[in-house]
Amino acid sequence: MQQDKRIIAGVYHVSKGLGKHFSLQDINLQVTNGEFVFLVGPSGAGKSTLLKLMYMDDMPDKGQIVVGQFVSTRMKRRTIPDLRRKIGIIFQDFRLLEDRTVFENVALAMKVTGAGMGEIKRQITDILTRVGLYHKRYDYPPALSGGEQQRVAIARAVANRPAILFADEPTGNLDPVATKNILELLFKINAGGTAVLMATHDIDLVRSFGQRIIYLDEGRVAMDKEMIFVGDIRDRIGDSSVSESASRLSDYDITGGDGE
Amino acid sequence: MKPGEIRYILDESTGMLWRRKTSNIISVIIMALSLLILITFLAVTLNMAGLIEKTSEELRVYVYLEDGLSREGSRDIQLRLMAEPGVDEVVFVSREEALSDFRETLGENSELLDALEENPLPDSYRIRMKPEYIRSGVLEAMAGRTGEWEGVEEVRYGRKWFERGEKLVKSFYMIDLALGLIVFLSVIFVISNTVRLTILGSSRTIEILKLVGATNTYIQIPFIIEGALQGIVSSLLAIGLLAIIHRFAVQYMPGLAFIRVDAIAVFVFLCALLGALGSFAALRRFLKM
Repeated sequence: MQQDKRIIAGVYHVSKGLGKHFSLQDINLQVTNGEFVFLVGPSGAGKSTLLKLMYMDDMPDKGQIVVGQFVSTRMKRRTIPDLRRKIGIIFQDFRLLEDRTVFENVALAMKVTGAGMGEIKRQITDILTRVGLYHKRYDYPPALSGGEQQRVAIARAVANRPAILFADEPTGNLDPVATKNILELLFKINAGGTAVLMATHDIDLVRSFGQRIIYLDEGRVAMDKEMIFVGDIRDRIGDSSVSESASRLSDYDITGGDGE
Repeated sequence: MKPGEIRYILDESTGMLWRRKTSNIISVIIMALSLLILITFLAVTLNMAGLIEKTSEELRVYVYLEDGLSREGSRDIQLRLMAEPGVDEVVFVSREEALSDFRETLGENSELLDALEENPLPDSYRIRMKPEYIRSGVLEAMAGRTGEWEGVEEVRYGRKWFERGEKLVKSFYMIDLALGLIVFLSVIFVISNTVRLTILGSSRTIEILKLVGATNTYIQIPFIIEGALQGIVSSLLAIGLLAIIHRFAVQYMPGLAFIRVDAIAVFVFLCALLGALGSFAALRRFLKM
């Protein structure tokens, strides 16, 4: 699949306290370039918290996070914008500026880097065409469907050709058809070489893709496995701490990766 | 910072002003009305101070000469008076002039003076002091000193009246200062709150800008420009409103002065600074710097 595998995002012995109940405990995981990883777990398992730490909106209490050349323990506030320009982030609630057109929303990601207007126009025309929204470039987000808004958000996230895209429940607000379209788009982006780390609570959604799944439960990595054989999964989730939705994984016969 | 970035920041500023025109207009009106209270107060204070100054400038010190003083003696006193510190002008008032002045003052009742066989008034010098010397201590000292001179009968400057007036002015300025401080603080409070609300209303925009990798400078500058413009527009609006009030009031109080142009310039500049600093302070908390 990939010629030379490099770790582009690594989480090493990370713990994070968040009140009494929600916390991350000694999390370890690595994402290599061009990889597609699902981060699965029930709500409150710490998925969003972990992603937040990875795009350095917050800092871990213990351990270290490395994304590209950025190291959490050596991070300064001033360098956070540099990190954000080299990664992409999308959310369940899209986070678009409703008073700006589709074009302006996507252009924003490039404008903050000081890119030339000609370059911005070329790149955004290309991206909006690829996400199928070029004809709606002058529309405002409220006029778009949820799926379309998420595609705008994805276009914005990949405008600077990031090495990795963090997706926090990107299909949480979408109907099944839009969900399928967004997932297909994310796979397409991944096929172009961008690593994707997608958090979701919907295990049924991701079970059939044969991608690597990291299962997060009560702030710990309960399982980290490429989903190929049912037997493997059973071994991994025999632990009683794994929630019910995870054990449902074993009910399905997963027949190998067709996502790439 | 790349040159392209500067252009986007300026685009962002104008775009922001346009997109939030309604909230900006409301903020400007709130700020203008608050500032109007402040500058009305300032204008009243300035007019009062002007009036007080004018009144005190009209003060004259009278040096009455002894009867039968020779011309040389009188001349000598005049020269010595002119050498006194703070003396601006010394005018000789002959006893005849003094009497006719007195007649004029009495007006219709001047017939009373006809009963006099001879002019009871002495020759005198009327002294105009430099404004900065018109203070009770200075005047008292000078009156005491010159009163001792040979050939000088008496020195007067309406001491009791003057000292009472001076006390009144002092207490007026104290009250004025206290009120001014209260008005000033409440205006600052209203403006900083308005600016803070403006920025809170943009929390989502700020969050998204941070998300896509905008530097703090990129995020801040449009808000600082917005704050400064709000300060400029609202201060000009307040001055315009005061001008209307002044035009109306001057019909009833002729000679009512308006704020001077250089004071207006300083005021507008300070308001721009206040708006800009207000935005900066509100953002600082927001951007966790």
